[in-house]
Amino acid sequence: MGASPLVAYPNDVLQQQQHQHHRIPSQQSPFRRQPSVNPPSNGTPLLPGAGAGGRSSAPHPQPPATLDNLEQMNEDEKRKYVKGRKLGEGTYANVYLGHSRSDPSVLVAIKKIKVQKEYQDGLAPDAVRELKYLMELHHPNIISLLSVFSSKDQNLNLVLEYLPLGDLEMLIRNVDSVSYGAADIKAWMGMLTRAVFFCHDNFVLHRDIKPNNLLIAADGEVKLADFGLARSFADPGHKMTSNVITRWYRPPELLFGARHYSGAVDIWSVGCVFAELIIRNAFLPGDSEVEQIALICRHIGTPTEENWPGVTLLKEYTVPSDVVPVLGKEAYMGRFGAVGSEGVDLLVKTMILDPKNRITARQMLEHRWWRTDPKPTRKEDLPRKSGGGAEVKAAADLKRRPGVVADDEGPRGAKVARKLDFGAAKK
Amino acid sequence: MATEDVRYRESSQFRLWSFSHSQLAAMRENTNAKAVASISERLSSLGATVPPSSIPMDISAPTSTANTPDPEGGGGTPRLPEFLSPADEATMVTFYTAELMRAGAHAEFSDEIIATAATLFRRFYVTNSIMTYPPQEMLVVALFFGCKAEGAFPRITDFLKTFGRERPEEILAGEFLLFRGIRFSIDVKHPFRALRGAVMELRSLGDIEETRIEAAERRAKDILRFSPLITDAYFHYTPSQIMMAALSLADRSLAERLIQATFHHVNVPEISGTNSGADTPNPTTTNTKETNKSEDNKAFIIGSYVRDKVLGTIESCRDMLSKELPERKEHWANRAVYKAQVVPLKKKLNKCHDPDRWNLVELQKVRREQALSSTKKLDGSEDESAALKDDGAVFGSEAKRRKVSGNKKLEDPFGGPL
Ligand SMILES: Nc1ncnc2c1ncn2[C@@H]1O[C@H](COP(=O)(O)OP(=O)(O)O)[C@@H](O)[C@H]1O
Repeated sequence: MGASPLVAYPNDVLQQQQHQHHRIPSQQSPFRRQPSVNPPSNGTPLLPGAGAGGRSSAPHPQPPATLDNLEQMNEDEKRKYVKGRKLGEGTYANVYLGHSRSDPSVLVAIKKIKVQKEYQDGLAPDAVRELKYLMELHHPNIISLLSVFSSKDQNLNLVLEYLPLGDLEMLIRNVDSVSYGAADIKAWMGMLTRAVFFCHDNFVLHRDIKPNNLLIAADGEVKLADFGLARSFADPGHKMTSNVITRWYRPPELLFGARHYSGAVDIWSVGCVFAELIIRNAFLPGDSEVEQIALICRHIGTPTEENWPGVTLLKEYTVPSDVVPVLGKEAYMGRFGAVGSEGVDLLVKTMILDPKNRITARQMLEHRWWRTDPKPTRKEDLPRKSGGGAEVKAAADLKRRPGVVADDEGPRGAKVARKLDFGAAKK
Repeated sequence: MATEDVRYRESSQFRLWSFSHSQLAAMRENTNAKAVASISERLSSLGATVPPSSIPMDISAPTSTANTPDPEGGGGTPRLPEFLSPADEATMVTFYTAELMRAGAHAEFSDEIIATAATLFRRFYVTNSIMTYPPQEMLVVALFFGCKAEGAFPRITDFLKTFGRERPEEILAGEFLLFRGIRFSIDVKHPFRALRGAVMELRSLGDIEETRIEAAERRAKDILRFSPLITDAYFHYTPSQIMMAALSLADRSLAERLIQATFHHVNVPEISGTNSGADTPNPTTTNTKETNKSEDNKAFIIGSYVRDKVLGTIESCRDMLSKELPERKEHWANRAVYKAQVVPLKKKLNKCHDPDRWNLVELQKVRREQALSSTKKLDGSEDESAALKDDGAVFGSEAKRRKVSGNKKLEDPFGGPL
């Protein structure tokens, strides 16, 4: 690599910069010029208060007299919305109801990213990832980002479409007041699968698919939300963290510590959501990673070299000693038969142990199930949560966050120790 | 290629950061003019109390006030410094982009991280003047943020060690500034993936020597890692166009072969050095009038029109890249060049930078204090700062947008093109 360009020839630009300042007179004049007397030569109008320094008692150096262009644009954007009551609190953000200033009937959700005391390294990974992908992905089944602005204390605010009908988890859990059938499940699954296909087709992995990240719009449309763990498909050879996806929805390759993986990880989660929609309970609710693997072995089959060549080479491969052969479709019919034989066929294919053989989002969309009766319910006619949804949800809201540990992709949780993996940033 | 371009139109890179040559030039002139105006204003107001004797004599000799009219007619007003011109700013941005890439290579960052950092840096300085925010700080900020944009999240302290720096607050203070300056669009689309696709396609043609393909790929990749990043290519061309231009610089006839394969339904007789579509027989290329349905004719005409347009675009991108081929790395790192071209501008910059914004750490501190003092009235009630209310139209993003937006839709939630 040779000498550091930062300290060596030919120049000093990358070195610690001298904070050379304009000679600002140390004594402040109480008679600073009024802007109107001194228009700039090109006729650009000035903000009132320009030159007057805004706060007259400002310490040295004075605050910038005017907002620059971008600051102004940001203020304009911010002023388009009025923030209302708090809707909910997530791991890294508070969500508020808001409305358009010009048309109060237009409702929005304003997601204000929390300042994470524990994260000392500037803009937090969740916020960076969420914004990165929501800026790019425009699809009816992906939550849409309407605007972004910063509030004065440099907090980031994402203005999202308002999705008032809760999330899929509320519907699943609310057994007493919400009933639904195979046609409804087919409609929800269709919307979820299209969202996932769109992500993968754009080389994006979501990495946190689960019922409470599937929000429901006023018209019944399901929207995939929370891209705080998303990332682009890495080039072959690039390592990714295996500590993603909430445990119950986490595929075996990640539980075994795979650092190279594909869209198949999301497909497994989709399968878990599918199963959960049918049985109205989490399909594989492991209390720990060890138990999660045990549940997979028991309900789906034990991953072995026979059904998954290479699996035993994965760093954290351990399975219970009593090997369970991979269960066939028939074994699922009893518990999941409500969606019919074709539906079960699709479910089984999403939960194929070897990620190389697992069905892809595209293949899912081509599956026969969508075209067999019953037809998916029209979104307007889908069951909705009843009034008590929020409470039910609160009760069901278990701590199911994956805590991303030390690696190049940064922590999701706060208190987790971090170590820099510069290796991952290298070619 | 077609579907990729459809998708590209959805990207923030296209929606927010693609401009015609004249749009981009106008934006930069505007940025420069605004910076000059506001710095002049600021320096004048700061200097109001300075007795004439304390003004350094070299700032302006009595005769050199031409570009800095003194509205007060002299008296106790300080002379304004000489400002950077838009051309000066362009030179500085180019130079610092080269520095950024050198620093990124030193840190052994991936191609994507370096390319993203360079792109974000250049985007930032479309709407911000080099005189307003310090480029040698911002380039390190851009590298730090480039890591994050590409999904790596280094600890700031470790990051700084790589660059022999110590003060995290300098980078962190600039990060949000950069983030806002790039209008929150983090995703940068690069041509690297397209090159991999092109190479696969060339291989699939089956009649090209592997060594030739490999050589072309190597050279094209080298070009992609430098030339588009230090020029305005990303502002004007799509990733696949940039890739084709680089491939064409590496091996022209291979690139032509690829274009031909893409437009195989259109005969490409005018492209030299290839066997002009002989191996891709197609009804539309057989010129028996009777068998040519009008549908085919239409496809042919549209096809050749599109192809000619594509060829023209690739050609102009090629011209742009050819001005900064990878060999120019040495140019920008050359001491003589530095002395002759950069040092004079840095000297100017030392005198004409924005006194309020040059120190990022101070700026952030001041902004935080301002935020604190105004939060009390904020929540619940409306934020009715008189200044803001009156001046929504002053810097009139709206008016400016309309001017340059052309045929792009105005109601873009992110404000359309700047
Ligand atoms: N677009 C939205 N519309 C309505 N409510 C929302 C929206 N986004 C989030 N919420 C509410 O705010 C809560 C927190 O959101 P979020 O930060 O995304 O949650 P989490 O971190 O738990 O995924 C959600 O549980 C939901 O109730």
